[in-house]
Amino acid sequence: MSERNESDRLQNESWIQRMMRRPEIGSFIVMIIIILALGLASEGKAFNALGLKNNIAIIAQLGIIAVGAALLMIAGEFDLSIGPMIAFAGMSMAIMLKWGLPFGLGEATPFSAFAITMCMTLGFGWLIGTIVVRSGLSSFIVTLAFWFFLRGLTEVCFRLINQNTNVSGLPDFKKESWFAEQMGGEVFGWLYDAWFWIGQKVAAGLEFTAGMTKDEKIDLINYLSFLNINRKMEQWVTGFDARLFWFIIIAGVAWYVLAKTQIGNWIYATGDNKESARANGVPVNRVKVGLFMFSAFCATIFAACQVFDTNSSDAAKGMFKELEAIAIAVVGGILMTGGFGSIVGVVFGAVTFGLVANAVFFIPWIDGAWFRVFVGTVLLAAVFANERIRKRITGGI
Amino acid sequence: MAPKSYMRVENITKKFGPFTALNGVDLDVYPGEVHALLGDNGAGKSTLIKILSGVHQPTSGTIYMEEVQRSFRSPREASAAGIGTVYQDLAINQLMSVTRNFFMGRELTSTLGKLRIDEMNQIAHDEMLKIGIDFSDPSQAVGTMSGGQRQTLAIARAIYFGAKVLILDEPTSALGQKQQMEVLKTIKRVRARGDIAIIFITHNEIHSRLIADRYTFLALGQVIGQGTKSELEGGDIRRLMAGGAEIKDLEQELAKI
Repeated sequence: MSERNESDRLQNESWIQRMMRRPEIGSFIVMIIIILALGLASEGKAFNALGLKNNIAIIAQLGIIAVGAALLMIAGEFDLSIGPMIAFAGMSMAIMLKWGLPFGLGEATPFSAFAITMCMTLGFGWLIGTIVVRSGLSSFIVTLAFWFFLRGLTEVCFRLINQNTNVSGLPDFKKESWFAEQMGGEVFGWLYDAWFWIGQKVAAGLEFTAGMTKDEKIDLINYLSFLNINRKMEQWVTGFDARLFWFIIIAGVAWYVLAKTQIGNWIYATGDNKESARANGVPVNRVKVGLFMFSAFCATIFAACQVFDTNSSDAAKGMFKELEAIAIAVVGGILMTGGFGSIVGVVFGAVTFGLVANAVFFIPWIDGAWFRVFVGTVLLAAVFANERIRKRITGGI
Repeated sequence: MAPKSYMRVENITKKFGPFTALNGVDLDVYPGEVHALLGDNGAGKSTLIKILSGVHQPTSGTIYMEEVQRSFRSPREASAAGIGTVYQDLAINQLMSVTRNFFMGRELTSTLGKLRIDEMNQIAHDEMLKIGIDFSDPSQAVGTMSGGQRQTLAIARAIYFGAKVLILDEPTSALGQKQQMEVLKTIKRVRARGDIAIIFITHNEIHSRLIADRYTFLALGQVIGQGTKSELEGGDIRRLMAGGAEIKDLEQELAKI
């Protein structure tokens, strides 16, 4: 008995127990289930050459803002202004590209429009963060105020400058501007080139006969779609949307900062218990303001990808995106109360959400509104699961 | 010859408006000694430690560290001067690992702010081992630790970051009997190092008698008794604990009701 000390009571865990304690485990399991279910229900079409591109486009789009929302939630704050920030940034870029830079500075280039917009949105992020830390008010109410403020401001600016709440038919900047191509163009074309190259080798043995029945033709086209070959036997898809590149960069940097650096430790400390963080010398307020600015940064990247992809923008852009970003973060294992979570989990959450949001395009008999039913169900389950993990970590179970 | 005091507090007065929280308090702390600071609720213990740790500034009076006059305008300044305060809430975050708590706000980093996590794990483990806990996995969350272990973590952290005067604010309250003994053992181990002066604030007479070398009793903002263990008798300690009242008197008062 006397040989036994306190630390003996903590058993050494097997790696399975260790894995089960990780914040991303729940979202990983849900993601695998969704990938398998969607693959089966769509007869694999969700993951053929075009399906993969379309799915990854929406995954990356949601993932970019979810990472920003997640870091902020780990530090214990919310940002409901993500959606309106997207609309504001899109409006700002589109109007500058159509009507020129403000104060008579002449024609806008894609980069100058983006840079000026980024300065404004980072300024808003700074303002929101400063109000939250100085006033001590809940970020829910402060960012709700900015939700209305920015939605309204976006529409007013559209009407005042453009007489209309949308800008469309902008010239395709991707052709002449390297920057626009990086935002709205395609990336990782070599992957699809390689896919096509392998596809050709596989398809080389196929025989084509003029006398094929209609069903046989459909089967053949389906088969070719998995080889990145269209019905004219040319390369079908040429690359992923540039969003994927930005998602990888943003998620990668956020993961590194959170898991491996001093600032990451400050983010966790701030969200867990800000008083004890402050007592140990963590600059709590600077961490929070910085993360509100990062959230605005992510929203602006989202908007830039959208504007340069579609060459248009309108006042309704980014609708509900703040709620989706928060939902993804929660499904990714981020605690509502802060102080816990990982970027890897958020990436899994983004994959899950993106696939389900797009499912209607691959499963024709499904009603698109099921997406929201699914989100609601998974969200609630995730909150319970997260709470359980938190209790397990703090010794409650 | 008396040993040289590490920190000396002379005639500290603190007024909050019309209220006098401390009225001319003197205190001497010596390295390698446990100085018990005792007193009832509202006696001024908290105010005194807040002045020593730089949270409040005294209305008058002086603090000497190794015979040099010092004044602390902030907790950071006090901490830099070698005063480590472990408050009751311990300033520990439950969801974070032992190592991340140990280095919270003072992380070891290499280029680009990257944490030197292996080195930090090793230091956290070694420092806690020195004062009595062999915590095999410093990457485990603090939430799984017992109250006594958390105290040890907070104390080890204060010492590692340069505390020469360690102020422990009621470290044994809100703990079970066995945990209390663990904390007292930890305090003894820190004392055995010989280079750290400990100010031990407590309500508990028995605990103070188990480990203290020197006593200061506060009541209503004034020192009502002070001395080394040998100078004070057990009965004195009990009487002074009750703010100068005799336990017998209290018994009589209770009997009347």
